[in-house]
Amino acid sequence: MGLSAYLMVSAGLFALGMIMFISKKNTIGILMGVELVLNSAALNFMAFSYFTPSKGNQLDGQIFAIFIILLAAAEAVVALGIAIAAYKEYNHVQADELISLKG
Amino acid sequence: MHVPDLFFMFFTIFVLVTASIVAFSSNMLHSAFTLFFVLFGMAGFYVLLGGDFVAMVQLMVYAGGVNVLLIFGTMLTGDIAKPEISNLSFQGILTFFSGVSFMAVLLTVFEKTEWTLLEKGVREPTTAELGKLLLKDYILPFEVISFLLLAAMVGSVLIVLQREKD
Repeated sequence: MGLSAYLMVSAGLFALGMIMFISKKNTIGILMGVELVLNSAALNFMAFSYFTPSKGNQLDGQIFAIFIILLAAAEAVVALGIAIAAYKEYNHVQADELISLKG
Repeated sequence: MHVPDLFFMFFTIFVLVTASIVAFSSNMLHSAFTLFFVLFGMAGFYVLLGGDFVAMVQLMVYAGGVNVLLIFGTMLTGDIAKPEISNLSFQGILTFFSGVSFMAVLLTVFEKTEWTLLEKGVREPTTAELGKLLLKDYILPFEVISFLLLAAMVGSVLIVLQREKD
């Protein structure tokens, strides 16, 4: 399978993630959409690293995929902390009703 | 047909079907648990692309860590007993059309572009090479991201604890 096949899979994942974080009301659901999008980006990096390796280091793309995974972990931790704090305050995490900061 | 192509097709169908379940399921908990299978299938792709270490990191950090966090978050915050509230979607048709049209644009671009393929990568152990790269060429991003992880951990604990004090 060529490069295009992998790119198409990642385009499908990106579209699903985008549908998710546009249409979900639950904050955790939006987070899951972001995870899908980040995964599709990492898949792109891996595919380009495999099919068109850079001249200096062959594994540059894989390094970036690792960084994406770590960034996703940091993002999930912070966002879940915020979601749990919002749930304690308002008893829900519906994104369209969380309209006031600090209160 | 080669064996990797068969695996590629299997993982493609697997990932896209499970990701659709994640995106369109009306029960938040189902989405959270199905996300595990998506991440598992992505690890399969990484193995096919010659990234054994990245696949293991994906399994341990993503499937083992982030996804468990998401499942925790779902159980702690959502009204999971009432899926009609817990995972309400809105503007379904509009979003569906925008997502599909965006994917169509991407697919056309991928189809039309002539990618200049260099020599094909090889599937060989990458762990030692990645370790050298991370501690030589990418030492600064490595340190920055470890500091970011520390800050994220402390910050999220602070956010939750401050609310408890008030």
